[in-house]
Amino acid sequence: MEATLTFSKEIANLLYAEHGNPIRDCIQCGTCSGSCPAVEYMDHSPRQLIAMIGADMKEEVMESNTYWSCASCYQCNVRCPAGIDIAGMMYGLKRYSMWRERYKEGLVGPQFNESFMKMIMRTGRSFEPVLAPTYVFKLGAKDMFDEAMMATSLFFKGRMSLIPKRIKRIEDFRKMVKRIIPFGGDA
Amino acid sequence: MSDKTRLLIIDDDPDFVSGIRSILEKAGYDVSVTYNPKDGFEALEKEPPDLLLLDVMMGRGAEGIMLARKLRKDPVLREIPVLIITGIREQIAYLFPGEQVHPGFVAVDELVEKPVDPDFLLNRVSVLLEASAERKKQEK
Repeated sequence: MEATLTFSKEIANLLYAEHGNPIRDCIQCGTCSGSCPAVEYMDHSPRQLIAMIGADMKEEVMESNTYWSCASCYQCNVRCPAGIDIAGMMYGLKRYSMWRERYKEGLVGPQFNESFMKMIMRTGRSFEPVLAPTYVFKLGAKDMFDEAMMATSLFFKGRMSLIPKRIKRIEDFRKMVKRIIPFGGDA
Repeated sequence: MSDKTRLLIIDDDPDFVSGIRSILEKAGYDVSVTYNPKDGFEALEKEPPDLLLLDVMMGRGAEGIMLARKLRKDPVLREIPVLIITGIREQIAYLFPGEQVHPGFVAVDELVEKPVDPDFLLNRVSVLLEASAERKKQEK
């Protein structure tokens, strides 16, 4: 067996259970990039990213914001002639970079994910005022003002409360999560 | 086939694997490696090792845990001692602050956290192997 694994094989192992074909089946047609509504926000298009993985360009892939910009619309999956689960690959790369703490600095995604998970574990449901601080300070002054105005009008219309609401039987929900993640006694 | 003690590592991080692999090989163990849970389970079924070193976060998520649960249900494989090596607590401890990780998936198992000190790793491996040998003796 080889001493160390190449980056492309590492990613193949990461994605071993995804539904689509392995990413080495990519024919570089660019249909994914052409279909992607978020491509203008990406450092590299999905097609480029797949080629970079194939070329074992680990550092460049880790530094790319591409998979954090993916909107998970699945248009690329639907259109890919090689049947690759590209959106699944984007999720896989997010996991990979979080597990190894190798994501690009200054991204909203990783902090947003952590705040989201914490919030869901605490209350069982999404509550925007907790999520907003993870990205709102990265916006320009005007966007920040617009965001604040939107929150205020939602509040006065009774569409957003100041205190997060909890779901019923939150303990049961937490037990469910513990069944997946082995924390706490009853694994 | 050698009569060395056989260890199997299932971990998707090649850098970490090459590190612990050389430590274990230097200590005289026969080490084989698989990099994803599917190949890992096949290797386990084909030739059950004396001890399994298992990572938690692989593939779609906490797949090491799924594998350990599968082992627990298997009458032969559940006898294999398992050393779970993971960085999981650091990464998701914020979900359950202050709570302990409880593996308890198979008859003999233990959890150590990455990064692992080489001496500590070798110590836990030999302790688990001894405990498993002791149990086998008692069963006879």
